[in-house]
Amino acid sequence: MNEDKKRSQDIKPVVIEVGDGAAIPSRGDRGLVSAWKLSFFFAVATLAYLLIFRPTPYVRLIKFLPDGILVTFQVTIFSILLAIVIGLLTGLGRISRNKVINLVASTYVEIVRGVPLLVQLFYIYYALGQFVKVPDMVAAVVAMSFCYGAYMGEVFRAGILSISHGQTEAARSLGFNRWQTMYYVILPQAWRTILPPVGNEFIALLKDTSLVSILAVSDLLRRGREFASESFLYFETYTLVALIYLIITLILSKLVSIMEERLSRHVTR
Amino acid sequence: MFKRTLLTVMALVLLTGTALAKDIVFATDATWPPMEFVGPDKEITGFAVDYMKAAGKEAGFTPVFKAVAWDGIFAGLDAGNYDAICSSVSITDERKNAMDFSTPYFKVRQALVVPKDSTVKKIEEMKGKTLGAQISTTGHFAIKKVEGIKDKSYDEVGLAFEDLFNGRIDGVVCDDPVAAQYALQNDKYKNALKIATIIEAGDEFYGIAMKKGNKEVLDLVNKGIKAVQDKGIDKELQKKWIGQ
Repeated sequence: MNEDKKRSQDIKPVVIEVGDGAAIPSRGDRGLVSAWKLSFFFAVATLAYLLIFRPTPYVRLIKFLPDGILVTFQVTIFSILLAIVIGLLTGLGRISRNKVINLVASTYVEIVRGVPLLVQLFYIYYALGQFVKVPDMVAAVVAMSFCYGAYMGEVFRAGILSISHGQTEAARSLGFNRWQTMYYVILPQAWRTILPPVGNEFIALLKDTSLVSILAVSDLLRRGREFASESFLYFETYTLVALIYLIITLILSKLVSIMEERLSRHVTR
Repeated sequence: MFKRTLLTVMALVLLTGTALAKDIVFATDATWPPMEFVGPDKEITGFAVDYMKAAGKEAGFTPVFKAVAWDGIFAGLDAGNYDAICSSVSITDERKNAMDFSTPYFKVRQALVVPKDSTVKKIEEMKGKTLGAQISTTGHFAIKKVEGIKDKSYDEVGLAFEDLFNGRIDGVVCDDPVAAQYALQNDKYKNALKIATIIEAGDEFYGIAMKKGNKEVLDLVNKGIKAVQDKGIDKELQKKWIGQ
């Protein structure tokens, strides 16, 4: 009897503490220094160090590269613009209720996604080059955007599908037609979800433009290879080429994150 | 009895082992017909390959050929990935600073290949036009030397010929045996291309390149090349592969 009492006194009430949930940092919570700043500082500082303290090979090298950097920029920008257009059309085609459009868009995605970019470049330039005479820059841009259009199509499709069907129903009940619904209601909302993965594709595209050097397009990598194999300065050349790619990529990723911030400025959570 | 047989066998293995001599690994960019290329049986073959095999027989080494892309072939030598380069490397002063060369084994000149209907007689007439060559070959350097010509560098000389055939560039500069192979013998190109001229830039020679100070390989290769030349084997190979 006594023991029972004692035991019942020992039992303490179970307290379940309800915390804040998973540790997702809130917006604007950046910590001491952002990874972007750290990488950018590392890249620029290394570049400056090499140019100032090791001028013998590096200054000569950086004078050799500018036209290559320009070509890399050109191919990247034109390919991104064209890939967004192709991607949007493909994404819309993939969710279209028209069976023919849907089939065409899906087949395009399946085929392009299944062939390596390098092979596509060879195909468009050398194989199709026997029938269609296009300049090398055009071939490079067409091949790059043709490949990335398929990837971006999937991103667009996922973003559009992520918007709740209630939005469509609401817009339609307000009298919007299907295109108006897509243009005024769905796409503006989907764009926020789409932007981070699209930014990712931008950066991947920029780096993959190095593959166009196989088409004898004198981009940054090709210029670097020409310099390296003439001067035998392989280590120095590829160090500099890597740094330049890194800096360009970091600038692009900053632009994307600025765009992300702009888009989510009015969103309160 | 058994022991004795075993010993004999072991002794024989050891003896023949030393007699078979050492392997020398040659890097070769097998995209340069008829000097070195991949034959229909997927083996690396060609003039230089046969030459080194004959030299090996004479000097007592076994050549082993390793396919390596031209771009970076010298970096691989520097890193010690192979003993030597047998890949139609022209002996130049810049290259001599970075590596050692065997005695020359083949004399070569640069040839300009153009479409059949072209009337060009000299490389200087190509001003304002675009010429292609394999990246960092002596052909590429020859284009850069002439002012006012746009140069385009390719990973393989075959891609340059394909671009010339498709009309994207106005000519290709490369070593004369290679030019002859593409412009005169290749079934696809021989009706569309021709050799316009041999570029007068002094004679060039191919040599086997090896890492600076690698005396053992240098001596063996030089010994082999000398024996091949003394016996006239090089003339036979020339007849077989180049046809003069």
